[in-house]
Amino acid sequence: MRVDPLKKSIWVFHLNTGSCNACDIEILDALTPYFDVERFGIKLVASPRHADLVLLTGPITRKTLPKVINALRAVPRPRYVLAIGACAVGGGIWYDTYSVIGGVEELKKILEENGIEIDRIVYVPGCPARPEAIIYGVAVLLGLVEQKVHGEVKIAE
Amino acid sequence: MSLKKLLKPFKLISIARRSGVVTVLYPYQKSLITTEFRGKISIDATKCMGCGACVNACPPNALTLSRRDDTIILNYFIGRCIFCGRCAEVCPVGAITVTHEFELASTSTRDLNESLVHRIERCSGCGGGLGATSRMLQYVILHSPASENYVHLCPDCRKKKLIQSLAMKMGARTEDYEG
Ligand code: SF4
Ligand code: SF4
Ligand code: SF4
Repeated sequence: MRVDPLKKSIWVFHLNTGSCNACDIEILDALTPYFDVERFGIKLVASPRHADLVLLTGPITRKTLPKVINALRAVPRPRYVLAIGACAVGGGIWYDTYSVIGGVEELKKILEENGIEIDRIVYVPGCPARPEAIIYGVAVLLGLVEQKVHGEVKIAE
Repeated sequence: MSLKKLLKPFKLISIARRSGVVTVLYPYQKSLITTEFRGKISIDATKCMGCGACVNACPPNALTLSRRDDTIILNYFIGRCIFCGRCAEVCPVGAITVTHEFELASTSTRDLNESLVHRIERCSGCGGGLGATSRMLQYVILHSPASENYVHLCPDCRKKKLIQSLAMKMGARTEDYEG
């Protein structure tokens, strides 16, 4: 299915999947008048049904997994996910713990099995990610700025 | 409507005027970064010797060491790094520096990997793999000069050399031992 890109302001839904709350506090910080993301049209909404972008924090614990799937299913297309923090990107310090599935990479596979498509995922590393890093992540997601990091392979002479 | 309610907007305006504008202009302005801020680490390819001390210290295993054929690969996955700086602390040659880089958002986790490939040395006796890089050997020689005579040999060749030198001392002919 072809999905039209987002044309209007981006509304975000905050989804905590078992994070330590530091990343969540950074998200709240980004929403305060100090960073005032509403000047970019980024607005926090209370229901995933109203959201374009899901701000996902935490390594996705087994307990939260069914709820995460339900929440992501409720998001209308185009469906974007911003994986915030080391936990969401690669599992962080809990990446091989028994009780977590280990980040959005693993979640993507489970979602595919459930027939839920994510149109775009942007990974924001950091533990926690700075509010500026989150704003930058949204800009990368919307294609407003060029991504700075590129994987590289160096050879030691 | 009471007068108090009518005057509320004016009260708010006066409060807002007193506190002024607090919103930072990021991204049009540099963000506030103190000297203590820890961002992404950078590994100096001209200094790193592939010893793996940083890999041992890294709490989330963002740094991993793997061996493939004749190479040792030090991989840094930024996505799992918690920016603790322990790797920079333990690196014996100071190859790791903690930068202030935090704008690391990426559309794929593949872009979040950085690798450093080291070639491993060969044993000067039998030519087998030694499991160490030439910089590691240099480091060992620098810190314990006596090791210079056997550091380029693999454990088997080292044993052979020791037995040979012992036997020589006892007056045996070396040909007997080389079969
Ligand atoms: S990435 Fe770090 S700060 Fe964020 S939820 Fe995980 S442990 Fe907490
Ligand atoms: S501790 Fe330093 S020298 Fe050893 S592998 Fe890590 S970066 Fe390289
Ligand atoms: S800063 Fe900490 S988490 Fe990141 S690579 Fe170094 S030791 Fe590992």
